[in-house]
Amino acid sequence: MIPFIIRKVLVLIPMLFVISFLIFLGIELMPGDAVDFMIPPDALATISQAELDVLRAELGLDDPFLARYGNWIGQVMKGDFGYSLQSGVSVRDLLAQKLPATIELSLAALVISTLLGSLLGVVSALNKGRLGDHVLTVAGMIGVAIPQFLFGLVMIVLFVFQMELLPVGGRMTPGNEAFFQRLDHLILPAIVLGLSMTAGVMRYSRASMLDSLSKEYIRTARSKGIPEWRVNLIHGLRVAMTPVAVLIGFRLPILIGGSVVIEQVFQWPGVGQMFVAAVRSQNTPVIMMVAFFSVSIVLTASILVDIATALLDPRVKLS
Amino acid sequence: MSSKSLQRKMDRLLTLENQGKLRTSTMNRSVRKLSANVLALVGLALFLLILMSSLAAPLISSYEPNAIDLKHRLSPPGEGHLLGTDQIGRDIFTRILYGGRISMFVGLGSAIGAALIGVSLGTYAGYTRGVLDSAVMKLSEIMMSFPQIILVSILVTIAGQSLWNLILIFILTGWPSMYRMTRSQMLSIREQEYIQALQAFGIGSVTISFKHMLPNAIGPIFVNITLSTAMFILQEAALSFLGLGVPLEQATWGNILNVAQDLNILRNAWWVWLPVGVVITLFVMSVNFIGDGLRDAADPTQVG
Repeated sequence: MIPFIIRKVLVLIPMLFVISFLIFLGIELMPGDAVDFMIPPDALATISQAELDVLRAELGLDDPFLARYGNWIGQVMKGDFGYSLQSGVSVRDLLAQKLPATIELSLAALVISTLLGSLLGVVSALNKGRLGDHVLTVAGMIGVAIPQFLFGLVMIVLFVFQMELLPVGGRMTPGNEAFFQRLDHLILPAIVLGLSMTAGVMRYSRASMLDSLSKEYIRTARSKGIPEWRVNLIHGLRVAMTPVAVLIGFRLPILIGGSVVIEQVFQWPGVGQMFVAAVRSQNTPVIMMVAFFSVSIVLTASILVDIATALLDPRVKLS
Repeated sequence: MSSKSLQRKMDRLLTLENQGKLRTSTMNRSVRKLSANVLALVGLALFLLILMSSLAAPLISSYEPNAIDLKHRLSPPGEGHLLGTDQIGRDIFTRILYGGRISMFVGLGSAIGAALIGVSLGTYAGYTRGVLDSAVMKLSEIMMSFPQIILVSILVTIAGQSLWNLILIFILTGWPSMYRMTRSQMLSIREQEYIQALQAFGIGSVTISFKHMLPNAIGPIFVNITLSTAMFILQEAALSFLGLGVPLEQATWGNILNVAQDLNILRNAWWVWLPVGVVITLFVMSVNFIGDGLRDAADPTQVG
């Protein structure tokens, strides 16, 4: 087991280097460089080209591409992610400030979609071919087809404008900052992000449950006279849920992408909203760090999934 | 299907056969299975309806999609405007029709483009394996570890916002999944005996992979193209909502929906954003139905 994990981690490291290189290449290809952003346009008229060149040389922007990449990756490894071109705040501080909001929202959505998705999937599988199954299947199909942000907008219109139950956006009202006081802000975005991911989980857990119910050991259990609910829930469900649990890891990229959109809809002050603002204003250090950060999370999660699968399923070979 | 209802079906078939009413259909089995699939047919009808009305937009509506009419801003449905007008007086119904052209073009064009690259690489590399396969596989792994929307946003910033750039970027980010799907098909097909026979005849690997193996994988590929079309249309809408899609001057479904960010419009002018939202949802659903139907039709293990 230990060599297996070590091997997985060793593959991760060169992969992260390649990705960081690609991301740095991306910075290079973007229009403008740091100097263009440092000097306001009205000051540009009074500065000669020679002075600009001196500044570029001082900042190391004249160095060959690979040298600059080496410089950059060295800083990143020391934990220095550069500074936001807009506010001048260090990207590390920005991330630290925005990350809790995103984690809060994603975690809530993950819990909602996992619980609801696997519950509905199992219900659907146990009622296969009956009305309940069809209703859930159709609901799932609509859920997959509706644009995430449209779903969010409809929910805003329903629960905020029509029923006036919940606040329209943001994470908290000033003064009420304890977790339970700002829970009403979290409800709507978490439900929208959670529900929009539920359909996939439902489909998967339905298939997994049906597969598990068609196995020989289920027939054995039935023939032993074990009550039907026990067969379904104890013998069928336990095996069916293993792949569903593993699926959590694979849903991370969707979760990150979804939170980018949902944070925008609900003005949720998280990393996703910061990313969209950065893309709109071509704030390269922020864009690149968010990209690098999310890829690292996805890759780490996929390794954890591999390890979890290996631990849970004795049939997986470790070689 | 439970065994009892299957038995009844077989009994019915048997009586029909005994009465001489059952003829062997000359129709292709996959086509027959597809046409027996109600959802797929509904999907196809909906798809054609939306496609045709978009293509025939000038015949259906007498308005121009970008004609501004400041006298009739945000007028509700009725009075000459079937679905009302938006904040600068453009006819919403007309914009949905014309917007559909571009949105469908983006969706279908990107899916086909991604398939061309992914399938041809997957077919060849999946058959020959070797260095090419492992290199492309690593590349696809790297690309797929980016959350899609983050990768697309970065590429949009680099390339700039335009219709063609968006399609290009969708192709660039979409081919890895096509590649993986084709490759896995090829890996199982290459183990079959007829491949060995072909190799024994000394036939080149390009001919074997493209002429003799690819046709056997075409079913899943078509399914994947339909499902990717739906995905790209949803992505175009999401990107437009974030302000990173096709430039706003061009009417697309996503761009029409974009104005719903204005809370005032969201609250008081449902006709601006709700109908186009419903059209996107219906269209994506219809494409998904077709894709699911194709999958069942192409699957020889399913009874039809």
